[in-house]
Amino acid sequence: MYSPLVIEHFSNPSYVGDVPNPDHEFEVGNSVCGDRIRIQLNSESDKVDQIAFRAWGCATSIATADIFCKSVTGKSYTDIEARSEGEIRDLLGELDPPQKHCIDIMMSLHSLLLKNVLKEDA
Amino acid sequence: MDTDLHSHIRQSGLDPLKVLLGSVSELFQLDDNTLENIKFYVIKEAFYRHYNNNDFYRNSCKEKNIHPDDIKQLSDLVRIPLVPIELYKANDSHKLLSVSLNDVELEMRSTGTSGIPSVSRRCSDTVDHAVFSIYAMYREFFSISKGAGLYLCPSTEEIPEMGMIKALNMLAGLLDTHRFMVEREQFVPEEVVDQIHAWENRFSTHIIGPPFLINRFIRYLKARNIKLSLDKSAYVITLGGWKRFSGEMLSREEFNRECVEFLGVKEHQIRDIYALVESNVMAIDDEFGEKHVTPYIHFSVRDPEHLDQEVPEGEVGQLAILDPLAKSTPGFMLTEDMVRLLPGKSRSGRSGQRVQYVMRKPEAKEFGCCAVNLDKKLEEVEADEPNCPVVS
Repeated sequence: MYSPLVIEHFSNPSYVGDVPNPDHEFEVGNSVCGDRIRIQLNSESDKVDQIAFRAWGCATSIATADIFCKSVTGKSYTDIEARSEGEIRDLLGELDPPQKHCIDIMMSLHSLLLKNVLKEDA
Repeated sequence: MDTDLHSHIRQSGLDPLKVLLGSVSELFQLDDNTLENIKFYVIKEAFYRHYNNNDFYRNSCKEKNIHPDDIKQLSDLVRIPLVPIELYKANDSHKLLSVSLNDVELEMRSTGTSGIPSVSRRCSDTVDHAVFSIYAMYREFFSISKGAGLYLCPSTEEIPEMGMIKALNMLAGLLDTHRFMVEREQFVPEEVVDQIHAWENRFSTHIIGPPFLINRFIRYLKARNIKLSLDKSAYVITLGGWKRFSGEMLSREEFNRECVEFLGVKEHQIRDIYALVESNVMAIDDEFGEKHVTPYIHFSVRDPEHLDQEVPEGEVGQLAILDPLAKSTPGFMLTEDMVRLLPGKSRSGRSGQRVQYVMRKPEAKEFGCCAVNLDKKLEEVEADEPNCPVVS
């Protein structure tokens, strides 16, 4: 049911927690019954410097939050923006059908990250 | 189950718990002492299992200086450490697993007013236990094997992981037909009335759903003075909280009265179910409105000020559940629900524990199940609908 990647990030998440006085904070979720992920981060020289998450929901969504944080840490916003849909999808590896809603979560995390950062730049 | 019988079942290659799962009616006919002894053995066995397989739980037991060997008699069950229900909402809820995540077959959830889902994870054995147990309880209390289910809630297709919907949907497997009347957060009471008429003289129609949605339907009937007449085999089955998102508490007495008046049922046809997504328990109303606890699961009602002590039978306290069916996570949990165990003998002649739900603990950070969010959504959708400007 769960890929080794999901098991690892769910069971041993590296980025769970809070960033003190974050530059950016955003949340992905479903108001009725769905998963919720809150991301906090600080930028440094147009890059993601510190990032942490709190997530509530299924194992795959919690793993998604951790994989997202790992994948953007130290990366420039230009590089993150250049990621294709396929590249973002591939971050999660193989998923069972009931876990595939996490692809949308991963997409939303990327777009919200960029929206938050670009909004500040504007 | 005395020790000999328990060992004999084990030596025969059978699982004592699964033998019990197939014997719900028989268990309800045992005397209370025999039933309590049976529960004691399977709960103690479950305690050993989680102690041996769950680092987090074992460490908690060590901190409290309790080992499964210390559980020698029924009165010792109160010493089994309890997992507070809010840990199922925690970021690190993986620590509750007594099995590998690889062995988890099903994730179920429920959300209250905070919107933070409580996620329970079940391995294959736990799913087996839950399925057998839920069906056995449905058969025991409803004896349903035919009819039509009018579900005043969304389908499992729309919200597949919601515990309440999943449990209610299992009833549909016993029926001839069913229909979910909440689609894409829309509920049209006129369609419910049409469906009831369409099934008339063909099926007994059971109305199934969370209390607030059935209440919403009754409000519609009341406003138009429509009085339906469900047949004598029909049930009105409710599962979910009795508090609306607004905080308004639905009165069970008033709900029953209105079901009788507007749905045309007798009071004994109205049955409420108490269940929790984190547990495999299901307490179902009998024909006298008394909720019977699943016979192999133990309810321990604690003094909220001294959680290591039980209140006397009949007094209100905080519910702790000792659920031996849970193999993937310790089924020993402290809920935020205030309940009382009913003293005396059951009017329906069943032995075992009977419970009355009183309220969510006042200090609880939230209330409700997924139904409470549905209630809120439906109210928002209705508020968004344009009002007709023409005076009639």
